[in-house]
Amino acid sequence: MGSCAACGAPLGSVLVCETCGALRDAGAAPSPFDVLGLPTAFAVDPARLRRRLLELSRRIHPDFFGASEPAVRALAERNSAQLNAAHQLLADEARRADHLVAALGGPRESEERAMPPEFLQEVLEWSEAIEDARAAAPGSPARTALAALAQGLDAEHARLLARLSALLTPLPERGAGALTEARQRLNAVRYLERARREIAELALPRPPAPAPR
Amino acid sequence: MAFLELDVVNNAERVILGIDLGTTYSLVALWRDGRPTILRPRGREDGRIPSAVAFPSGSSEPLVGWPARDRAAAEPGSTLLSVKRFMGRGLEDARADLASAPFPASATEHGVIQFRAGGKAWTPQQLSALILREVWRVASEALGEPAPRRAVITVPAYFDDTQRQATRDAARIAGLDVARIVNEPTAASLAYGLDQRKEGLVAVYDFGGGTFDVSILSIEAGVFRVLSTSGDTHLGGDDLDRELVALILEEARPAPALAADAGFLQGLRLAAERCKLELTRQPRAELRAVAPEHGFTWRREVTREELERRIRPHVQRTLDCCARALADARLTAEQIHEVVLVGGSTRVPYVAAEVARFFGKKPHQELNPDEVVALGAAVQGHVLGGGTRELLLLDVTPLSLGLETMGGAVSKILLRNAPIPAQATETFTTYADDQTGIDFHVVQGERELARDCRTLGRFKLTGIPPMPAGMARVGVRFALDADGILTVTAREEATGAESSIEVQPMNGLTDDEVELMLKESFAHAREDFDESRAANLVVELGLMLRAVDKNLPAAREHLDRESADELQEAAQRARALKAEDGVPALQAARDELERAALPLATVLMDAVARSALQGKKLSEV
Repeated sequence: MGSCAACGAPLGSVLVCETCGALRDAGAAPSPFDVLGLPTAFAVDPARLRRRLLELSRRIHPDFFGASEPAVRALAERNSAQLNAAHQLLADEARRADHLVAALGGPRESEERAMPPEFLQEVLEWSEAIEDARAAAPGSPARTALAALAQGLDAEHARLLARLSALLTPLPERGAGALTEARQRLNAVRYLERARREIAELALPRPPAPAPR
Repeated sequence: MAFLELDVVNNAERVILGIDLGTTYSLVALWRDGRPTILRPRGREDGRIPSAVAFPSGSSEPLVGWPARDRAAAEPGSTLLSVKRFMGRGLEDARADLASAPFPASATEHGVIQFRAGGKAWTPQQLSALILREVWRVASEALGEPAPRRAVITVPAYFDDTQRQATRDAARIAGLDVARIVNEPTAASLAYGLDQRKEGLVAVYDFGGGTFDVSILSIEAGVFRVLSTSGDTHLGGDDLDRELVALILEEARPAPALAADAGFLQGLRLAAERCKLELTRQPRAELRAVAPEHGFTWRREVTREELERRIRPHVQRTLDCCARALADARLTAEQIHEVVLVGGSTRVPYVAAEVARFFGKKPHQELNPDEVVALGAAVQGHVLGGGTRELLLLDVTPLSLGLETMGGAVSKILLRNAPIPAQATETFTTYADDQTGIDFHVVQGERELARDCRTLGRFKLTGIPPMPAGMARVGVRFALDADGILTVTAREEATGAESSIEVQPMNGLTDDEVELMLKESFAHAREDFDESRAANLVVELGLMLRAVDKNLPAAREHLDRESADELQEAAQRARALKAEDGVPALQAARDELERAALPLATVLMDAVARSALQGKKLSEV
């Protein structure tokens, strides 16, 4: 990551020098790992990630730049936005894997849409169960069955992430075949997360209707 | 510059007020002597200032605050009690509230509501500005000197962008400089966190006069991080009062003409509120509606159980929001360590009991639920003024933001509960050959179709060079600042061509309109401006004098005699001045003091540099 242009100290984040406090322009799309100063790897320690978010927020949040010139304040806003985005990405295992697959030159979601073959039959069954529940009244058997389905989906989700972790640890070579398999697993993860959200939405009361325009 | 350098040395704080601009009451607080303090209206134990504006018949001067509230009892048709309900709303949105508003309403060309009162048109922003002026006056009176013009102002966490903008515009019209817009539950957590020195997961349940919010926070190492928020900007104590008003109308059956009379209804509302308050303290209370001018008298006893039965659906809606906020934070009620109650409506025993049942723990009510938001705003003012680096608030945006795409769907660009500041860019393209412009429709909300979301504005990107369909690449950037206010920019990337944007605000004021309102807000705009400037100069002089007093004794030996004498004389002259001496005298004294302090500042900066080289702390110099 190099050293600080202002004081020469080694950098722990591309956003700020934590020794002298100088804000840095990290460009439009810095790596989320460089933003938080964590090693580029699939495994991320959640406690460490949270600690880095808090440490860096204390350095770069616009609240602490009220008396600075507009350009510095704008940089504080932008760097805080980049920090928030990077933290959200790394805090989510699937998004982290998605980032790594793309960064290593693996296929993007738009280039490889397939799911693992053993998964397809189950997807059909699950989708059907959710559609039935959506059409059914709250409290009906189709609805109550969703709780068990949700548990099943969560277990499958955990299995897929374990497999992704194995595929991405240690990180494969650029363009390796493992990246295509990882993308296919990720497509399945994405399906599961969408299904889980739908089930959760069905269980929750409807959001308050927005005021009419 | 000298002042700035002195600032560095002393870490002198710029003083910032904390204002809770509430639906029914507003409060103001300031950080003093190491803690936030409510600035109370003279002669009152109660810190609350009614958010009421009255236009008494036969007078063109509005009454604001307690005088307006008192007026409401005598002349119900003259007083608007909760203007916040109309902030950033259009006529259609506010239809239900407008029915009980005492003044006729129309809309400006941008859909901003305008009330006709006292022979003039008033937008909600202007009426809120009147309240903010009264708040500032109360603060100045309590301080015995002009209060700071910089302020942290709180809004409901679930306020959308238009409502936040309207609040900021109201402050500008009132001559206040907004240091930060802070969400009410977040501010409350700051006051509580400071008071209790707690760490862990906290739910703030904020049921106020007109709005409901719930926020889930994680407090760790002085950082207050909001994980999720949910709420309803149209659910509050007002709704509970309305249930009792409905009871009167059902049972007393006033003549239809009377039941539609806004002044009469306002009187019923006050009676309902009184009864509700009594029921928070005792199991039964009298509900009494008397309108001698209409020959109407009705009274009967209401029990606590009866009130509870009627308000149950409203309370259930607040609990639904709690479930949603927990789901968004991926937490369950059992995982929450502390629950904090905020807002006057949490004084209703049934509300507190239902919250306790939902979270399975007894909520905190140690701090006055009316005051805790203003106290938190003052804490945030202290942070923003440079008073401490120990505390930091990290908040989220309550609602997703996006653009309408072909076919009326919404492409979400920033999702709800995204931490702010947030920025994101999405690329769009043209759908016809040689298309030179694209219309954008910016929306906020969770629904899939643009027409079900709230319109924030529309703009047209023009000047795209002619090229085949699908070739242009237009990057639209959404930036949410730390106030939660959105800025949208767009540019064509393929050619880097200059492009222009015209934003049509929806239910909002344009900058020009705000400027105009600021200028014409009072016949005495000029004096008002001077008063504010004088107040700021007095504050500034006070800070400079404090810095001089603190540092001159120790630094004197390093100063030549002439400089020291000059500084002392300038300080003496500055000390003798008051706000009443006027802007020119104050400005001259400030400039003179700044110039005379330059040698002292240089000595101090050298000392700082030396101590830094020796690795010593500033405080040891």
